[in-house]
Amino acid sequence: MTDLNPSKKRKRPSLGKQIVFVLLYKVFWRMVFGLVIGLKYIRQDKASLDGPVIYVANHNSHLDAMALMTVVPCARIHLTHSVAAQDFFGSGFKRWGMLHLVNAVLISRSRKENGEDPIEQLDAMLVAGRSLILFPEGTRGVPGSMGDFKRGVGHLASRHPGIPVVPIYLDGLYRNLPKGRSMIVPFGGTLVVGKPLVFSNESVDEITNVTQVAVETMAHELKNANRLT
Amino acid sequence: MNKLIDAWGMNAEVQWVILIILCILVFSSTAWYILGKIKPSKLATELQVRTRSWWIMCVCFILSTVVHPVITHLGLAFLSYALLREMYPLLKLDQRERNVVLLCYAVVPVQYALAYYGKTEIFLAFIPVFMFVIIPFVLVTRGETQGLVRSISLLPYSLVAWVYGMSHLALLFQMPEIPGFTAGPEGLLLYLIFLVGMNDVMQFAWGKTLGKHPVLPRVSPNKTWEGLIGGVLSTTLLAVGLRFLTPLGMWEAAFTGFCVAVAGFMGDAIASGIKRDVGVKNSGNAIPGHGGYLDRLDGFSAAAAPFFHLIYFFSSAS
Repeated sequence: MTDLNPSKKRKRPSLGKQIVFVLLYKVFWRMVFGLVIGLKYIRQDKASLDGPVIYVANHNSHLDAMALMTVVPCARIHLTHSVAAQDFFGSGFKRWGMLHLVNAVLISRSRKENGEDPIEQLDAMLVAGRSLILFPEGTRGVPGSMGDFKRGVGHLASRHPGIPVVPIYLDGLYRNLPKGRSMIVPFGGTLVVGKPLVFSNESVDEITNVTQVAVETMAHELKNANRLT
Repeated sequence: MNKLIDAWGMNAEVQWVILIILCILVFSSTAWYILGKIKPSKLATELQVRTRSWWIMCVCFILSTVVHPVITHLGLAFLSYALLREMYPLLKLDQRERNVVLLCYAVVPVQYALAYYGKTEIFLAFIPVFMFVIIPFVLVTRGETQGLVRSISLLPYSLVAWVYGMSHLALLFQMPEIPGFTAGPEGLLLYLIFLVGMNDVMQFAWGKTLGKHPVLPRVSPNKTWEGLIGGVLSTTLLAVGLRFLTPLGMWEAAFTGFCVAVAGFMGDAIASGIKRDVGVKNSGNAIPGHGGYLDRLDGFSAAAAPFFHLIYFFSSAS
């Protein structure tokens, strides 16, 4: 019965999958971002985290998920899943690519689509020791501006008080691959990895708020860092 | 196997200059380390970071210069590309100009391929003649005239400044045979890299120690007359001292050194002005202590073409 549930059917990932993902993201995409696109990496916290982590980032481009995968440590790269929308990536080659190359987990954006609560699905993955990459804005939105975070991150973090939430700010990737374009034109950008946030018994709204403020603060600091006075 | 050894076999002149560069690096690393131990200060830390970056840059430059010409061409092409893609986001280009920007990136490999295959005439005309017309035309075909003048000026300028200029370093490999000159294109390349690098260091050093009167107070407050004059004089002397890497006589080398130093300063000043206009301190953070690619390469890209033409002029005149 549970076999019909795609998230539970997932086999324990093998060493082969880990090697493929390390080559794909830590070597290939890292070189594309570093040398071709010229993405600047800024790490505010050098400590590497073992165990499940919730990465939270703003979302403007299809490149965002790839960029985030390049900062996940090698040891956990095959255990890290981007959360993507079923209605957008639901069929054909897109779906295959998302599942096997991006390691994505597809959820429905609305709660009642097939009777399954997407939060439950992600909750189960965290219990199974997987890390998640969330884009709580829920959509790529307007280029260069950040929408309000949905409360999914709050729900997940409040159910798992020990799991750190790492806020990540992505700046300028939308210029390389804007919404509605298929050609990547290198235009630089910045990726800021913030200090992990650990929550104990804050409410869902509090967690969502704190995370959103953390990402917004990073955006603000970045804007002022290289400004001429 | 013999061929492999030949490829690595450097001539004596090149070995000497590499030895000198390594000595300077070892000396300055030790000096700043001791300075930092005796009197820890912000300046000492900055000098240490800068020297560490110089180490990496020198090792990359030397290796890519002496190993094989293909590596040299690829390395230089990458630097040109890195300059373009570092500056385009800062220059606030319209998103609808993406296709033209892609065309500008595509110019880089073509230009370096022309240098590699020795098509000197087309190489010299490709950007300032052909691309100078093609890029504005492609911009016009968009049918949008608002902001057109800005893009028409900016994109060809970026190509001439950062691709055409830099690519003359690759053209040094096409220098005709000069009797009695053994250091080869690698020697000339290292000579220019050494001069421009030392020019920056010397202007920084003279400016920090003696500098009082700013040259361009509103563009770059750190550049002083003392730094400029001290830097130009030191570079001219160095150019004479290292002329065994070139086919030049003493006065020719002094003149070349003077021109390289002045051109390096000009490139630096222009880059400062551009950065100030777009409102950033540094063009990036790729090189710790120095900033981005443009912050380090502004002098090279301005001095490369004058250097090539001076060498060509002097060696064909004699």
